Amino acid sequence: MLLYSIIFPIISVVAIIFFLIRYLTERQSLATTILWTLLWLFVILFSIFPDASERFASLFGITRGLDFIIIVGFVVLLYVIFRLYNKLDKLQDDVNKVVKEIALSNEISLDDEEE
Amino acid sequence: MEYEVTLEDKNQTYVVLPAYNEATRIQPVIEAIAEKGYNMIIVNDGSTDNTLEVITESKRKYPDKIHIYSLIINRGVGVATQTGFDAVLFFNPKYVVSMDSDGQHSADDLDNVIKPLVTGEAQAVIGVRPLQDMPFSRNFANKVMNILTRIFYKVNVSDSQTGFRAITRDALRKIDINAKGYLISSEFIREVNDNGIPFVEVPIQTIYTPETQAKGTNAKEAIKIFIQMVKHQF
Repeated sequence: MLLYSIIFPIISVVAIIFFLIRYLTERQSLATTILWTLLWLFVILFSIFPDASERFASLFGITRGLDFIIIVGFVVLLYVIFRLYNKLDKLQDDVNKVVKEIALSNEISLDDEEE
Repeated sequence: MEYEVTLEDKNQTYVVLPAYNEATRIQPVIEAIAEKGYNMIIVNDGSTDNTLEVITESKRKYPDKIHIYSLIINRGVGVATQTGFDAVLFFNPKYVVSMDSDGQHSADDLDNVIKPLVTGEAQAVIGVRPLQDMPFSRNFANKVMNILTRIFYKVNVSDSQTGFRAITRDALRKIDINAKGYLISSEFIREVNDNGIPFVEVPIQTIYTPETQAKGTNAKEAIKIFIQMVKHQF
């Protein structure tokens, strides 16, 4: 048995437990938990049975199993970046609102400095 | 006979000045505007130098003419100007102007910029800089931005990136600006146009120094504006 087929499943199990705890402590939605759990289950599957990737690859018309894994990896990463970008954008908007409100409710007067 | 802007008109006008790290340049700008009899809303955009102290010092000289607001962290010219536009409505002025605080705009142009608003010729004014006076890189970036403003916002103006603009209070209430950075220039024009607010272009002078050239719409800013314009289409 190759080293990666031992290490990757261990990492995956730890990751699944981490996501389950996040879900149980209401820090994550059920949909996100299912999505990530599925992803890590696939990592376990492909680590223990590398040939399985070729079956999935052929479903999408890709010849090599490794190519399929790399492409899926790219897609997942792009999706994560897109989500993060949107969240960051929303956070920026929220920060702008707060900073603006604080400024508007505190006009600086000469008395402020003298205090 | 051509209309002369009166002291009453100036008293009814508030100039919004967003300021980020302008400690060495802002004082003459503020004092020139105050000397002309205009009121000001100065928004310190989370400056890390002593801009706020310099502004407060000027307020001591003209306490009734200057109102200061300060963003606790730097959020860019777009948010600082929006803050100024929101604050100005507390004072209910007839006319609102916004201009740069780094000295590239001249207070001498204020009368000409508000004149179309006072006479009723227009409800918004865009201060247009002579493109031929600009350094080549800035001139090129501005031409590109004019084309992009025409494509994305469907408005044809000769200087879409100007920071010198004026608007009546009633028209200001109609527009909705959300731009974060230098996109505010194009967005202001889009909002004015989309809301059917009649506007005119008024030529203004621009004073370029190595310091003022370091700010404004350079190639990097142009790319940021372009990305935001594309995003706004969705």
